[in-house]
Amino acid sequence: MTEIELWVNGKRHQLLVNEHDTLGFVLRNKIQLTGTKIGCEQGSCGACTVHVNGVSVQSCITPVLKCVDKRVSTIEDVADNGNPHPLQQKFVEKGAIQCGFCTPGMIMSTLDFLKENPRPTREEIEEGLSGNLCRCTGYKKIIDAIQEYANEVSSEKSDKFKMIGEGRPYIEAIKKVKGEADYTDDILEKNALHCKFLRSPYAHAKIKSIDFESVLKIEGVVDVVIGKELPNKFGVLPISEDETALAVDKTRYIGEIVVAIVAESERIAEQSLLKIKVEYEPIKEYLEMMDSTLDVGENEQIHSHSRFNNNIHKKAELRFGDQEAGYEKSHLRVEREFEFEGVNHGFTEPHAAIAKWDENGLTIKTATQVPHYLHRSLAKVLEIPMNRVRVIKPYLGGGFGGKSDPFPHEIIISYLAKKLGRTIRVKLNREEVFLTNHGRHPTKLGVKMGLDKDNKISVLDADIVIDGGAYGSFGVVTSYYNGVLLQAPYDIENFGFRTRRVYTNKPQSGAMRGHGAVNSRFAVETLLDELAHKANIDPCQLRLDNLISENSITVGQYRITSNGSKQCLETVMQQSDWKKRYGKLENGKGLGVAGGFFISGSALPIHWNEYPQSVVHLKVDMDGRVLVTSGASDIGQGSDTMLAIIVAEVLGLSMDNIFVVAADTLLTPIDLGSYSSRVTFMAGNAAKMAAENLKNAVLKAVSKAHDIDISEINLLDERVFSNDKKIDLTWKEAIVFLTNKVGAISTSGCYNSPKLGGDFKGSGAGLSPSYSFGSVVAEVDVNKETGEVKLLNIWGAHDAGKAINPMAVEGQLEGSWHMGLGQAMTEQMKYYNGMLLNANFLGYKIPTSVDTPPIHTNIIESIDPEGPFGAKECGEGAIHPVLPAIANAIYDAVGIRITSLPIRAEDVLRKIKEKEDGE
Amino acid sequence: MENKYLIAKSCVEAIELSKTQSDFSYISGGTDLMINKYQKNNTSKTLIDLSEIQEMKSFEVNETEVRIGSAVTLSEIEDNKYLKEVFPTLIEAVKSIASPLIRNSATLGGNLLCDNRCMYYNQSEWWREVAGNCLKCEGDICIASGGKRSCFAKMVSDTAPVLIGLKATICVVNNEGETIIPIEEIYSGDGINPHSFTKETIIKKIVIPRGNIKSSFEKLRERKTLEFTSLSCAISIDENVIRIVLGGVDPKPVVLDFDKSVSVDEIILKSTKKCRIVKNDLYSREYRKEMVGVFIKRGLKKIL
Repeated sequence: MTEIELWVNGKRHQLLVNEHDTLGFVLRNKIQLTGTKIGCEQGSCGACTVHVNGVSVQSCITPVLKCVDKRVSTIEDVADNGNPHPLQQKFVEKGAIQCGFCTPGMIMSTLDFLKENPRPTREEIEEGLSGNLCRCTGYKKIIDAIQEYANEVSSEKSDKFKMIGEGRPYIEAIKKVKGEADYTDDILEKNALHCKFLRSPYAHAKIKSIDFESVLKIEGVVDVVIGKELPNKFGVLPISEDETALAVDKTRYIGEIVVAIVAESERIAEQSLLKIKVEYEPIKEYLEMMDSTLDVGENEQIHSHSRFNNNIHKKAELRFGDQEAGYEKSHLRVEREFEFEGVNHGFTEPHAAIAKWDENGLTIKTATQVPHYLHRSLAKVLEIPMNRVRVIKPYLGGGFGGKSDPFPHEIIISYLAKKLGRTIRVKLNREEVFLTNHGRHPTKLGVKMGLDKDNKISVLDADIVIDGGAYGSFGVVTSYYNGVLLQAPYDIENFGFRTRRVYTNKPQSGAMRGHGAVNSRFAVETLLDELAHKANIDPCQLRLDNLISENSITVGQYRITSNGSKQCLETVMQQSDWKKRYGKLENGKGLGVAGGFFISGSALPIHWNEYPQSVVHLKVDMDGRVLVTSGASDIGQGSDTMLAIIVAEVLGLSMDNIFVVAADTLLTPIDLGSYSSRVTFMAGNAAKMAAENLKNAVLKAVSKAHDIDISEINLLDERVFSNDKKIDLTWKEAIVFLTNKVGAISTSGCYNSPKLGGDFKGSGAGLSPSYSFGSVVAEVDVNKETGEVKLLNIWGAHDAGKAINPMAVEGQLEGSWHMGLGQAMTEQMKYYNGMLLNANFLGYKIPTSVDTPPIHTNIIESIDPEGPFGAKECGEGAIHPVLPAIANAIYDAVGIRITSLPIRAEDVLRKIKEKEDGE
Repeated sequence: MENKYLIAKSCVEAIELSKTQSDFSYISGGTDLMINKYQKNNTSKTLIDLSEIQEMKSFEVNETEVRIGSAVTLSEIEDNKYLKEVFPTLIEAVKSIASPLIRNSATLGGNLLCDNRCMYYNQSEWWREVAGNCLKCEGDICIASGGKRSCFAKMVSDTAPVLIGLKATICVVNNEGETIIPIEEIYSGDGINPHSFTKETIIKKIVIPRGNIKSSFEKLRERKTLEFTSLSCAISIDENVIRIVLGGVDPKPVVLDFDKSVSVDEIILKSTKKCRIVKNDLYSREYRKEMVGVFIKRGLKKIL
């Protein structure tokens, strides 16, 4: 250790550091400047960017001793006396901030490159940002913000009193842009212990013995936990609870937690791991999904509860009409096999959690999308009543489905907090985040489709195998979604599928944006393109001719209400100049189209009960401020802001009078969580009802006090007034009538889906009170010498019902399209003998700003009859069409069919050659 | 033994410091070294920082040559107006390296001496142990090739191929004093110990002759940024000699000189044959091999 003086943000700090500490570590842990985020530890994401002598560098790979005698400045130094820097202000105004975890790094990088080049072009901005990864925005709004800042363009600020339909920044955006929003690992806790995990080196092995006696003698080590201490099983779905917090008796994938060490410091815990001796007996491992469909013979299954002597976890099959006859009768037929690698959410904030046990029981602060499900799992595994568990979600740096399960690390530290009576913290490094996975299932599927003579889809039959990895997660739902979500947006009578989800000895798959339907949608949209060519009809026209109509019922008895699919398709056709350009571009360039469809929240709860799916409470006191409490998890998608807007709209208030407290299972009423694109629809409806109840209370009070009919009273622009303006009160004055003598008033609202669907087994899968629709046209340039594909443009349109906050909706759509093009072009989880080869942001290739083409965003508003103010989902459904649109564009460009993702240059080149050889 | 971080103010001081340390690494920008330390591929107890050495940060131009201090950062090179004009290919190569953030710290000398890479080696310590340590981490088998004798971890410097094409030399300082050698001489061709240097040796300067060499540069990678090379192809023409320098396809830069009269097909055939490509990144071996020819053809077209 050595003592140094470090100048940070104009202040001198005297510090004792390890000689090889990084600047990032010291900033965060020794001087509590936690605005600097650590996303990858290896200089590949830019979240940790700071300035050293005015130059932007990544603090996670900068030795702190390099910075002595230099001036270090961090995000905390950018605002001036608390006032955001004009660049920060632009980020806020333009909606360049979603989860906000990459934002401090983005700001620091930008301030540096603008010094050299104060008026950059769009391309130069893209280049300048190309070391900073963002997983939420698709970079578009970030680049917009920088461009407006550099060109001193002033943008219109949102109207204080316009609510629904007016784009506005997130209510917490200023906090995030200044680096002041505390994500879980930024939270300071006194006297906390640190937890680290020993992970399995075998894909499938029996644990013969664990020797940790010597470790307990190491100074600073407090305790060691092994699997048998926590044998209770859990899982997000009560129907497939197959996971334990630590491996019990055997391990099922390389990276599974076998031992947990808790120590006074992270370093002690980490170094002590090396002293633990575990003896394993490897048994036959199953790494290939097709092998897992077969009988295991004398070998041991991955889970003994599989129904037959194989490793199939779930078989889902539904059939409507007659696929065989439909196929036979088809005028044109196509059939293909497809293959998809697994992909990971790639959220920028690694998992982190802090657990504490006191007289109120357990309190855990954790990066979770599902506080309620975690609440249940903790109670179950730790065998404590639910009223002894409090789950708090702090600011959260991106989820996309990757934080929507209860996780072993959350359970282990909760157990330790209870056992030791101490505060325990844990954070996973990026490699551990990848090993924890729960990403999109690797998939193989064969699909058959046909057209009749009138170019109507005569049949769709899919046979699907998905690789679930070692545990269940959302897999049962995924199995159904792969099939059922193909029954729209096209009208298909003869529709059927079979999905087999298998266990393999790999990190588990789960839910990821567009859950279950992304890969099978790719197959169907590719085959539709092929059918259009066979039928010699424009692929857009074929889709238009087959779209299901609004207010209809699908073959599997989904109730379609609002439906903007036609308008979506027509919008992207027009914007891309489709009719003039499709099929007519020079060789190597091409346009492709695809459609999509998704649920707006699952109508059935995971835990079957009659409890509402979302409840919102409002409280108003004499100060006039309305407190909104909701269990919904804002994970960067802007749900806190959505709730505030809805309440403000109903009550005629500005945001100044709304305050949101969310996602704390003690303070807030239950919402089931941020998954299945349910929050705006369900929590939004609950908030609307709660606000209407409060409005009625105000109306009644004023009506009584002034003896005037309720229908005569209006709430608008923070005033409460009668039609004739004889009564004209400020909101605060009006509240007096409500709160006099009784004090603060509370109201409540709730939402539960209507009863929907058919009465056959499996009919509940994919039921939703509303469905979203979307279309994408992609333009590509294929290099015929290298097979490399360059994306030139993405035109997207998505039917979001009514956009409550259009700026946030655009952000969701752009983020979805960006994530989709990542899966299409470069992302894959690559394994070597069951070991993940690319568990870092260098090898797992999320598209950067320079890999992202111009994105043209269109919100289509179909106004849903049941959504709050007509709104429905926008967070996931937009992803589906982008992947097949790219593949279809490649067909238009060079005449080859893409049947596997990601689209590897070498596969494209091989296919081009095969085609040329064939001709 | 305690960790140490020593900052040298001159080359001589750095070499003197190195003599007192049994287990050291030099560090300049640290953008690769710090990751290797994080992954415990580098476990040096002492780091000797060279980035404060003024004589390694100079930039000089005279009538015959350009001398760039090895501790000049890649960003500084990128922004150097003179270099942009005189050696645009060098700038192209520099801009293809990592990301702008990394180039703010990374130095030219560091890029030339970046450790060779392989997807089975550049992993966490835990990963490497689980995989069964490879040759480059003191194991007894190469995972990428299945062989037991040689490590083929690839040379990934993007500036090396261009500089070799430009006939650049380097001024190195070691116990023996200062010498000037051609850049290609520092690469041993052994993936495990890729540099034929004594441990205390420092690259002080890179010297590029001014002249009329026409050149081109291209890099194969999946993203346009944040990537180590899977194939870098620098081609230069000096009077009647075509020089092909390939990076990312062998433990060292592959250098071939051809007379202008040699056919393109022969150039490609011979160049491809000389690369020792193994499956050590996310592209297949066959594809990278095929791209050698495509890149050479394209490069030649650009400058002929």
